[in-house]
Amino acid sequence: MAVLGLFLVLAVFAPFIAPYDPIFQDAAARLHAPSPAHPLGTDNFGRDILSRVIWGARIDLQIAVIGVVFPFIIGTTLGTIAGFFGGIVDVIFMRVVDVVLAFPFLVLMLSIIAILGPGLGSFYIAMALVGWVSYARLVRAQILVLKNSDYAVAAISLGFSRSRVMFRHLLPNAAAGSLVFVMSDAVLVLLNGAAISYLGLGVQPPLAEWGVMVADGQSFISTAWWITLFPGLSIVLLAFGFSLLGDALADLMGVHE
Amino acid sequence: MLKKWMKIGLVTVITSLSIGAGLAEAAGVLTIGRREDSTTFDPIKTAQNIDFWVFSNVYDVLVRVDKSASKLEPGLAESWTVSEDGLTYTLKLREAKFSDGSPLTAGDAAFSLLRIRDDEGSLWSDSYKVIDTAVASDDRTLVIKLKTPSAPFLSTLAMPGASIISQKGMETLGPDTYAESPVASGAFTVKEWRRGDRVILEKNPNFWEADRVKLDGVEWISVPDDNTRMLNVQAGQLDAAIFVPFSRVAELKKDSNLVVHMDPSTREDHLLINHEKGALAKKEVRQALDMAIDKQAIVDTVTFGLGEVANSFIPKGALYHYAENLQRPFDPEKAKQMLADAGASDLALNYVVRAGDEIVEQTAVLLQQQLAKAGITVNIQKVDPSQEWDMLVAGDYDVGVNYWTNDILDPDQKTTFVVGHDTNMNYMTRYKNDKVKDLVTAARIEMDPAKREAMYIDIQKMAKDDVHWIDLYYSPYINVSRSNIENFDQNPLGRFFLEDTVKN
Repeated sequence: MAVLGLFLVLAVFAPFIAPYDPIFQDAAARLHAPSPAHPLGTDNFGRDILSRVIWGARIDLQIAVIGVVFPFIIGTTLGTIAGFFGGIVDVIFMRVVDVVLAFPFLVLMLSIIAILGPGLGSFYIAMALVGWVSYARLVRAQILVLKNSDYAVAAISLGFSRSRVMFRHLLPNAAAGSLVFVMSDAVLVLLNGAAISYLGLGVQPPLAEWGVMVADGQSFISTAWWITLFPGLSIVLLAFGFSLLGDALADLMGVHE
Repeated sequence: MLKKWMKIGLVTVITSLSIGAGLAEAAGVLTIGRREDSTTFDPIKTAQNIDFWVFSNVYDVLVRVDKSASKLEPGLAESWTVSEDGLTYTLKLREAKFSDGSPLTAGDAAFSLLRIRDDEGSLWSDSYKVIDTAVASDDRTLVIKLKTPSAPFLSTLAMPGASIISQKGMETLGPDTYAESPVASGAFTVKEWRRGDRVILEKNPNFWEADRVKLDGVEWISVPDDNTRMLNVQAGQLDAAIFVPFSRVAELKKDSNLVVHMDPSTREDHLLINHEKGALAKKEVRQALDMAIDKQAIVDTVTFGLGEVANSFIPKGALYHYAENLQRPFDPEKAKQMLADAGASDLALNYVVRAGDEIVEQTAVLLQQQLAKAGITVNIQKVDPSQEWDMLVAGDYDVGVNYWTNDILDPDQKTTFVVGHDTNMNYMTRYKNDKVKDLVTAARIEMDPAKREAMYIDIQKMAKDDVHWIDLYYSPYINVSRSNIENFDQNPLGRFFLEDTVKN
């Protein structure tokens, strides 16, 4: 929590915390090693790494959150419907899930982004199109168990509408597992976002994003290690934070993966 | 997920290790690391440096360009005469053999020239359409008749695409086999080609200048990652490497086991402008763009001071380069004013960038910031290289950075492509100026060098005035070799003189 909190603070108050403008290029201070003036050094354009890492937190947190929310909503909804109705609806939804799962995750994402054109918008769309399947499977399995439970049967026999039973009675109970999964998925999404940006298909310059920063620093890795190291560390730390939060949530809700 | 990242790391390590382990240690075999592997050995079916630079040492040409790319010298043709009217070229061929031992005759030379002109797969047919007939009057004499006089004609005979291939070999092997295991007319033969990995060349004992060749063989090994390739040379796993990134030069120079070569090149990096896009059609707007770009900053930041600010599309050191050509000063305020006067003060540009090309990406980030000072908004659009090309051809861009290296000594080729209204829409810029076009045509057939030079100076001035594109900088070829390698030279057109290279 503390880790996540720290990054959240960095992201929200980036304009006040960052010592420099993250896209300001200072030709006189190119490739400076970490020093009091630039605690984390500067890159090949003379941009301050610390400021870029801080501003990058904004974008990377945004990636992690938005990249998870849409798959979560789509996945749980479709999973609930499939699980509840069963029969032909279930077969259709689950075959679609199988089809999506049949492709390697990253390859599918890359091709969707390639079609839509690079950018964060495409990344979110690709995440939503590809990422929902895990949630759908998870929730469907839960619903299949829960719909035969006493309270569900009771609700149905009381004549409540299907949608009410589905979304008011079953979903809140089925969603616990998904919520925990959200945290570990956020890690995945974050790394994917960084990877996509690293490949040049995500965040476009001059915006600061950690994956982009790692990629930019790659060519200087033997002469100016600080360009790559600090954004890289930030990715690891943030991923770690989400992971820990996921564990804590799992304990809290009594869910075991 | 962490595991996935570790895997990627492991794969990288393993690949670099296996490259190291796989290197032949044979004395006299020169190993050269480069970014990409060759695509073909059929000289007429490629326009890429990665192919030209390798098969220039596999095939010989009739007329060669010397090491400093200042003049033409005899190749397979030991002498030549040109008729009074400039239409008939008579070339006297020397005694030479192909790598399979068969004699190299004027018939093979005629076959090679007509093939580059007529073959459906030829990428160069336009440049050789000027040939009317090419006939072997005997085994040693080639007579070429042109449709019109052509000043650059001898230069085009030296282009790697016009390499001399064996007619018999081509007819028995077929073009596909020949493109993989050719019958060589140059210093080396292709012993083995492991696609995507390496080209293994072996000394050609039948080469007419075989005495000159010191190496037993050459291996062109593709090591795509710049860092790995440099490390391989530093560790002695490769004898040499080409495409040294600008950022690594200072560090490599400090290593006493290495020699860093900075050979003059004809490379010019420029900003393409799509003249059909809105305000960019106005000359004043393009001039303002030129003034809003600080080229010296690009030279300092991107090339680490190793490049030089460019002032003309004909590169410094090349024939007819005009050194006094206009260099607009960097003046963002004036640029802003000019844009306002032209009614384009809120100019927004789509800047197409080749993803994965470090130099191009860095230039883009820098230009974006510079142009912002003149009030120009730049939207960077990163796309993969093949898509970039398609977008340029389709005119689906505003600006984009590209570079050019000359293939022939004569400026005619580049001038025609860039401002001569060729089929490629003046190198995708859609630039139109009929006066320039006519001058390019006239310069092609002007046989008096002094008059020709004056014409090319005019062309350069007019192109600069129109801002057909924005000249950014010239940069050298940067290669590195171990200190036991001698004479590892590349001429400004890119040809390596491996026949002179020695491995001690």
